Amino acid sequence: MIKKTLDEKAFQLLKEKMEQGLFPQWVLTDPDIYELEIDKIFGHTWQFLAHETELKDSGSYVTRWMVNDPVLLVKNRKGEIKGYLNSCTHRGTQLCTADHGNKKNFTCPYHGWSYNLDGELIGIVAGNKVYGEEMDKSEWGLREIPQVASYQGMIFGCLDPVAMPLEEYLGDMKWYFDILLGRSDGGMEVRGLPQRWVAKANWKATAENFAADPYHVQTTHRSTVELGISPEDPLYAGYGHQIVTENGHGINVITSKTGKARVPYQGTPESMWPMFKKNLTPEQDEILSGVTVFVGGVYPNLSFVSPIHGTEGHLHNYLNFRMWRPIGPEKVEVWCWFLIDKAAPEEYKEAAYRGYLGSFGPTGTLEQDDTETWARIVEVSKGLMMRDKELNYNNVSNYLMGFDRVEPDESFPGPGIAYPTTYLDAISRSMHENWFKLISKDLFVKEAVK
Amino acid sequence: MSSYLSIPITAHLQMEITNLLNMEAYYLDNGKYKEWLDLLSDDLTYRMPLRETLEGVGANNVSKDASFFEETKKSLTTRVNRLYTKSAWVENPATRQRHFISNIMVESTKNPEEFKVRSYFLFKRSRGSTHDIEEMFGERNDIVRKESNQWKIASRTILPDQSVITTMNMSMFL
Repeated sequence: MIKKTLDEKAFQLLKEKMEQGLFPQWVLTDPDIYELEIDKIFGHTWQFLAHETELKDSGSYVTRWMVNDPVLLVKNRKGEIKGYLNSCTHRGTQLCTADHGNKKNFTCPYHGWSYNLDGELIGIVAGNKVYGEEMDKSEWGLREIPQVASYQGMIFGCLDPVAMPLEEYLGDMKWYFDILLGRSDGGMEVRGLPQRWVAKANWKATAENFAADPYHVQTTHRSTVELGISPEDPLYAGYGHQIVTENGHGINVITSKTGKARVPYQGTPESMWPMFKKNLTPEQDEILSGVTVFVGGVYPNLSFVSPIHGTEGHLHNYLNFRMWRPIGPEKVEVWCWFLIDKAAPEEYKEAAYRGYLGSFGPTGTLEQDDTETWARIVEVSKGLMMRDKELNYNNVSNYLMGFDRVEPDESFPGPGIAYPTTYLDAISRSMHENWFKLISKDLFVKEAVK
Repeated sequence: MSSYLSIPITAHLQMEITNLLNMEAYYLDNGKYKEWLDLLSDDLTYRMPLRETLEGVGANNVSKDASFFEETKKSLTTRVNRLYTKSAWVENPATRQRHFISNIMVESTKNPEEFKVRSYFLFKRSRGSTHDIEEMFGERNDIVRKESNQWKIASRTILPDQSVITTMNMSMFL
């Protein structure tokens, strides 16, 4: 598997570069690195599958992907959410091709094998006549996704049966999820199916763009400044804190120059504020009452943004989760969910949805410009000057912002390492460190012995 | 069936409405977005729901609750104004695009000034010097109306035929 540039020496040099805040550009779209990532990162970490409100009733199902593994996620009669490999155990045919629906059982169109909501094989066409008595149906149930778990309604799956449990993996990010997803009675709800489109991008760059990079806002989204929607101050997205948590996760709590947002509680209806206070700790409430935008990510490929949108007198907030499904070194299938407080007034939900469509997703005016920069990175990353076998004259990306200059703010009320600005590469470097740790794990056994 | 007296769709009427849609495509393909806005009525609704993959014969696969566009003339005006800024990078440098509009079917409605118009679209786009040719296709269901002797689009629902969009963004209007 390890060939060409990917030998032990290359990894050692890569590590040295990264310790200096430098990240070689060839790494971004290298096909061998990509194969390693799929195996060593996506094979062992928790990936987002769905929100619980997408599976309302017994028999509700959605089909999803964990990179190239097809997932059938169902709610069984006991109300449990089960994840199966969406492939018939007979000849491997994709069992269910619909995006969503409600069924009592799933029948393969190839030879007619049927499975119930617990993944058990319950029917074989011509049963014993073709297989004889020794065929034990209980041995041919659907293969379960090794681990499926949820936190605050967010359902994740993991292909590694011995990976740490979801809650341990999320770590301090749970505290921030409690604000984003747990502030309202009844939690959040998803509207419809996620929007899906294929962007020309590498998954690392899109994840980093969202989770770790408020610095791009003032230039990539400068059109909003030209239109008078965003402030002229080039630091406007930099006020607040960047918080690094475990396992490559992180969140930016963007406020404003005054240290508080222009409006409390992200422009949500005032009638909801006592409910937020009730559901949050005083520290969480302090953060929510003063934030303009939450933006962050759960490593490897889930990102989120919770902004304030709209003009004076017509403000709204929503929560957008997006999953970056890698489909090659230069392509990402983006899955984009809109979430809103179940307890919010209906007309507010509708206005927030329209605000979302105007800003994020493929038609969103902010995201349209992001897609352009993502494409421009992958389009130039294959050259010889990028791709240097010795890693000494290669093109490196600069991750030095705040390097050894910005100290953590001990007074920040939330967990994690909080830095007093979001124009910082601290989350990016943490994502890269985690990336390196995962892709190099068990790769050079010799080195471990030394 | 309808009880109103339907207005016959004459060749002349068909031609006028066809011209409207062709003029619209010309404006969009040539960056004349402000001229395009003038073809839209002030009470416009402009929607693009998602397509879903559902099991079952004849299932309605147009999403009831998820969309790519849910616009009014005001929100489209904001989108258009953005394309005249210097830093809407998705269209600076400008993409080259074509809207191919076909299969135009006109039907009368209860309102003698309004007509239902169904058309098919094939959208193609080229960006920078890349070799990728992006495309999208589907159907549009419009209501067009004659206002002070000028044809306007009063309502549009765009139905894409893909459930997963393969253009890298949707900066285009359809």
